[in-house]
Order: sequence, then C-alpha cells, then structure tokens
Amino acid sequence: MSIKRNLITYSIAFLIILLLNFILPRMMPGDPLMAIYGDEALVAMTPDLKSHLIERFALDKPLWQQFGAYISALFQGNLGWSYYYNASVSKVILGSLPWTLLVVGSSLVLSTFLGIVLGIESGWRRGSKTDRAMLTGLMSLNGFPDFFLGLVLLIVFGVLLGIAPLSGALTPYSGLSGMSLVLDVLRHMALPVAALTIAHLAGGYLITRNTMITVLKAPFMLTARAKGLSQRVLKYRHAGRNSMLPVITMTGIWLGRIVTGALFVELVFAYPGVGQLTYQALLSRDYPVIQGVFLMVAISVLIANFAVDLLYPKLDPRISYAH
Amino acid sequence: MTGTRNLLPKVTTIIMAFILLFLPACGNEEIPPSSQIDTYTIADSIGDWGYPSPYAHYFRGPGYVRMSFIFETLVWKNATEFVPQLANEWSYKEGDNSYTFKLQENVKWHDGTEFTADDVVFTYEYTEDYPYQWVDNSIVESVEALDKYTVKLYLSKPYAPFFQDVAGAQPILPKHIWENVTVPEEFLELEAVIGTGPYIFADYSKEHGTYLYQANDSYYLGTPAVKEIRFVKVTAEMNPAALEEGSVNSASIEAEVVTEMESAGFTVITDRPSWNAKLTINHQKEPLSSKEFRQALAYAIDRESLVQIVLRGNGVAGSPGLMPPTSVWYNPDTPQYAYDPGKAQQLIEGLGYNRLDNGYFARDGHLLKLSLIAAADYKDLGQFITQQLEQVGIDIDFQTLEAKTVDSKVGAWEFDLSIYGHGGLYEPSILERVILDESFNSARYSTNNELTQLLNEQLTEMDTTKRKDMVFQIQELYAEDVPALTLYYPTSYFAHDGSIQLYYTMDGIAIGMPIPLNRMCFVQ
Repeated sequence: MSIKRNLITYSIAFLIILLLNFILPRMMPGDPLMAIYGDEALVAMTPDLKSHLIERFALDKPLWQQFGAYISALFQGNLGWSYYYNASVSKVILGSLPWTLLVVGSSLVLSTFLGIVLGIESGWRRGSKTDRAMLTGLMSLNGFPDFFLGLVLLIVFGVLLGIAPLSGALTPYSGLSGMSLVLDVLRHMALPVAALTIAHLAGGYLITRNTMITVLKAPFMLTARAKGLSQRVLKYRHAGRNSMLPVITMTGIWLGRIVTGALFVELVFAYPGVGQLTYQALLSRDYPVIQGVFLMVAISVLIANFAVDLLYPKLDPRISYAH
Repeated sequence: MTGTRNLLPKVTTIIMAFILLFLPACGNEEIPPSSQIDTYTIADSIGDWGYPSPYAHYFRGPGYVRMSFIFETLVWKNATEFVPQLANEWSYKEGDNSYTFKLQENVKWHDGTEFTADDVVFTYEYTEDYPYQWVDNSIVESVEALDKYTVKLYLSKPYAPFFQDVAGAQPILPKHIWENVTVPEEFLELEAVIGTGPYIFADYSKEHGTYLYQANDSYYLGTPAVKEIRFVKVTAEMNPAALEEGSVNSASIEAEVVTEMESAGFTVITDRPSWNAKLTINHQKEPLSSKEFRQALAYAIDRESLVQIVLRGNGVAGSPGLMPPTSVWYNPDTPQYAYDPGKAQQLIEGLGYNRLDNGYFARDGHLLKLSLIAAADYKDLGQFITQQLEQVGIDIDFQTLEAKTVDSKVGAWEFDLSIYGHGGLYEPSILERVILDESFNSARYSTNNELTQLLNEQLTEMDTTKRKDMVFQIQELYAEDVPALTLYYPTSYFAHDGSIQLYYTMDGIAIGMPIPLNRMCFVQ
C-alpha cells in the first residue's frame, strides 16, 4: 500500500474543494462582488474600493484567471477580508479556534476513552445485568442531540442549582490570574464538555461493545485463554485492542468536524468558538467568514481521514497485507 | 434583526419562562440613587460589536452605542428632546443657511488635552476624506472656527433632520490624535479610543464579546453614576436567569417572560416601535401595477390577527402610511384598509377578473397567480399571507429562499411579492430613503409626482409645523397608492434592576438606534 497513491487521492479531493469554494459565490445570482463580500460590502463599497476589489479578484477577467488569482491569494494564507469584522478572515477564525479546540478536543478524548472502556467492560459481560443497564442507559442518551443535553445541563446546574456559570468561557473582568483563572476556565467548560461527551459517548460505546462480542468468539481468544493469561490482559490487550479499529474510524470522522462539531453547544453556552462565529456570520451574511470556515472544515476532514489511514496499519497489521 | 426567529430560541424561552415561575422571586436591594454604584453590567447576546473607536466598531447600532460612551457629539438627545452636549448653545441663520455652535469651555479629552473648536472643524474636514459610516456629512459645505469656542457650519441646502442625522450623531474626534491617521479603520491603538465622554475605555475582548469602561471623574456635565460599566455576553435565553442571579443589571428579554420579570421586581421598558416588516410589491408588473389591485391586497390581509398569530400579540398592526401609530409624525387620517376580503374581491373583479369554480380568479383564460418570495426568517409571516390571499382567490406560490437571493431578485424586479423588514421609523427623513431610493430595500416608487415632490421638499422644510403637514400628506398619498404594505411593528422589551434609570431615547440614539443605553442615563 502506498502513501503516495493516498496523497494523490487526497490532493484531488483538496482541489475539488478549492474549486467548489471558488465557484459557489460566483454562481450566486447578482453581483459576484456582493456574493463574495456579503451585506457589509454594500455599505462599505466606494467606487474606488470596488474597482480595487474587481482588480484583486480579477473579476473582469476570464474564469480561469480568476481561479489563478484566488489560488495564489490562498497560498499566501489570505482567506479573504470580512467587512463585518473589518479584519482578515484568517485572523477572525484564529481568534475563535483555540476555544473550540479546547472544548471539542477535551470532549473528544473523554468520549472516545470512556466509550472504549465502557464498551469493553460491557461486551466482556455480555448479557449480564451491568451490560443491560449500560446498554439501555447509553442507547437512550444516544437519541438526544448535544444541544438538548447542553440545555438540560444548563438549566439544572446553571439556572436551578446555580453552581455552574450561565455563559461564556471565563468570568469577564474578575481579575483572576494563574491557578484561579485556570479553575475559572475549567468551571466554564465543564458543562459544554459534559454535553458533548455524553452525546458522543454512546456511539463509541456501542461500536466497541459490538466488535468486542465478535472478537471474544475469535479463535485467538481461545488460545490466549488456554495460555492462562490473566483476565485483565485478556480483556484489554487481546480483545480490547482488536475492538478499537471501528472506534478509531469513528473518531477520525469526528475529528474532521472538530472545527464546527460544537456549533449548537457553543450557541447554548455562548461559548466563544468557531461555531458561534459561524452562526454570527450566517446571521450577518458574512460570506467571507462562512467560506473560510467551510474551507477549514474541509481541510480538517481531509487531514483527519489521512491520519486515520496512516494509523490503521499500526493498529492492525492485516490491513497493510491486504493491499 | 428582529425578524430573525428560529425554533431553538423559541423553545428555550418557553422552557425558561416556565422555570422562572418556580424560582423564588428575589427582591432587588434598593440602592439610593445619589451614590455612585461600583459596577453596572449589561448583557448582550452577540457580545462583540467591534473595537469602540468610531472607525472600528461594526456597522450596527450596538457598535455605535459602545463607541458613544467614549465619544460625544455636539448635541445629544434624552428621552424627550435635544440637549446640549459639547455645544451648549446653537442658532440657525436662514440667510446663509448656517448653524453656529457655542462650545463648552471646560472640556478635556481623556488624555488631558483641552477640547476646542479646532477639534470640531478637524472632525468635519476629516470625515470628508474618511467618511464615518453612520453619518452622511455631505450636507455640510464648510466649517469654520469663529473663535476658540465657537464653530459655524454652513450647509449646502436647508436640511430639516440636521440634528438627528448629523450634529447629534457625528462623534467629535481629537485633532491631536487623528490628524496623522490615514487608515482610520486599522487604527486600533489606545489613542483611538480617547474621547470626551463620561466613560473611559478600559478593555475590549473580541472573542469573549466583553467591554469594560471606567468613570471619567472630571466629566464636565456631571458625575458618572457608575465606577465601572461592563458589557458581557449572555445568550438571549439566559438573560432572565442572569438578571435573577444578579450577575447582570440589565438585559433585553423576550415577551414571554415580561410578567415574571416584573413580579420578580425588575423594571421592564419598551420603546415606541421603529421597525417594520413589509410586503414588497412589484408595482411595475401587471396586475400589480394597478393601484386598485394593490389596495385589494391591503384589504385582503388581516394585519390585526397577523400580529396575534405571527407575533403572539407582541406588536402593533402595520399602518399603510409606514409611520407607526405611536409616532409623533403619525397621521391618524391615513387610509387603513381594515380587513375586508369582500371589498378585496370587488376591487379585483373591477379589473376584469372572474372567479372560477375552484375559487381562484382568472382573466382572459389566465389564472390569477402570484409568486411570493422571502427569506426563511419570514416563513411564518409568508405562510399567513399566502393563506389570506388564497382565501380571496389569488393563487400564491410561496417560496423561502436564501436571503441574499431574495435581495437580488427583488433588486432586479424578478418577483411579484416579497417580504422585507427595516428599522429607523422615527425621523421622517427615512421616508424619502425607503420610498424613492433605487436599492432593493426601498419601494422605488417615483411614479406619483406629488408624492415624490413632497418627499424631497420635507427634507428642506425648516419649519416643523409645515414639515409635519407635508409628512401627513405623504402618509396619505403613500397609503392611497400602496407601493408596499407595512404589515406590523414588533415590540421589544428590556429589563433592568432599577439601580440606573434607563430610558429609550427620543427618536432613538443618534440617527435612530432603538437601544435604551443612552450614556446620559449613566451620568448624575
């Protein structure tokens, strides 16, 4: 199996994404300049600025030349200019990104880890009371969307009990620093992380449990048992490791959506991440920001898939033999 | 925008209203009005409105308001009238069409430099080169300083809304800071937020959507009532809970929780409506080009029950003359077209249409069919109108489209009916813009010469009584022709704990922002 062939496939996908991102605003009805810059441009547009922008995007040139101008700007890290924020799109997105990564990253790690552990334990005890209780409990949680769980958590812990903050990522102007600031940030992220973790926990759990049940029947498990290995080693090193593959795929898909994965939860908690930014951009029709986020999501999906492709053979050597 | 409502906030609000019923009502501690309060916190659901310098804040009302705590204008408004600010006296001279402003003499910029007439002259000259987006200064022909504390502004023609649109909206910039700034939008230093206002800039966080201001203790018009003002970001649905737990002092609230908030001891205030949703009509196209047909549409839509159903009662039915009934400029004799489907059908029949067996009208074998396009925000409203027009016998094809697509279709006259909303229904200068302008958000109706002439003339009429007469006539003519039909004016609510007496400014803050955070509420 060649990484090279993989790279070519991904490059083609990447090019198609760029092409789409380029062509969509130009296909919208009306003035493409308006479509590229949204409502704000209408306000900010002086004749001077207009001719400058037409030149910059080569809007008076044939389409392929426009595409050239677009690509060259992109490779200089220029995602466009947001007239709403009066700032470059990359700067606007980078400002919100750390908060999203913090919340989504933490919940991704937590839900994957917990999902695998609970899945292994549950599958190991298939048919027992513990297994059935976990299965029923997690299956029912699986039905709830993350923002609904967020809302319930917020109403219970924030409004009724008053022990969690109602919004934001930290207490503004509290004068906190050092350890107390870290604690304040943790306190603010607790509920959003919990909502995302609970909502995504069931997926990993169910997949691990299913695979676990299949793996337990495999002949190598019988051999391992016959060798007299301890329960723990059997459960985690032999059965567990072989049950992880589908979860890794799922986490990979999830990882691709890391940028916008928390959109609704961020809205519920007024958390200052990319989801919040995307929502605001939609409301104010800030097309440059929407496109920037779209491009980032597409790229992170590609990267995540690529990483999963690389990781697979390491977890299961059979995959490289298959090619 | 007021029109933006989706399901998630609605559901949350209802849940919150329900929960509030069961929360113990915590009474607010009475704070004696004369003492200075330590902190006052204002909740906002969007939070970030840009760096509060005149050139960096976002082009939205709340952005201006955050800037206005720092920067001041020549004149300002309170709840009822124009009041002195940087200028303490003014006079208008009809002969040379000029305003003379006598300036306050003991004013200092936040960096300690003295404020003089040079700053005012500089501001009006600077904004000619670098226009400030909220204020159209083109009416000002020239400015001169008569002495250190007197300025004279010459206008190119008489302009009735001069205070509302220019003198009361243009923030005055310190010459010593801005004279060397050539890209004002990118000037984001601390000096960019040096003003003369009652509050001094302390902090702004874009990501968290927060602002911090500190009292300007040497303010010339009184003592700031608060040591520290904070703007923080709270989701709209959490505003009631944030008020209850005391983490914020004021916030806008949804209609559903008004009673609960009042019984919990909060003061709820509401403004005279200034925003309207309207039915845009393609009056260039048959059969909509006929005045009688447009009148039939007005008769066919029950605007009273529309308010009850679509706004759940939180609004006022639209007046066909555009100006809301609560406005001082409202003409009570404006034709109202009270709901009368029979009358609507009569008018349509008068245009040669016959009703078919299926209930729809047709003429010369063609079914009377109209398209209605609107952004998804107006889905409920669109469905209501479709149903009402179908009832009188017009076949309506209703489609929700992406907002931008609607705008460009309307802009290119590629539509029959559409729905659009805009604010600013305070000062009648708005009438000229939303009736005559050539952009998609205007009715673009200039076929009635009498109306066009009145719309232009009222702008230059300096006698208020005469101008009011003209505005009254405009409403009658506009309502008679129905180039567009105002459907409703929604009501919005703002709750506060009473520690600061908030009010809505007459005709909105500056050029008409319906936000009850006038900086003068925060000055004793």
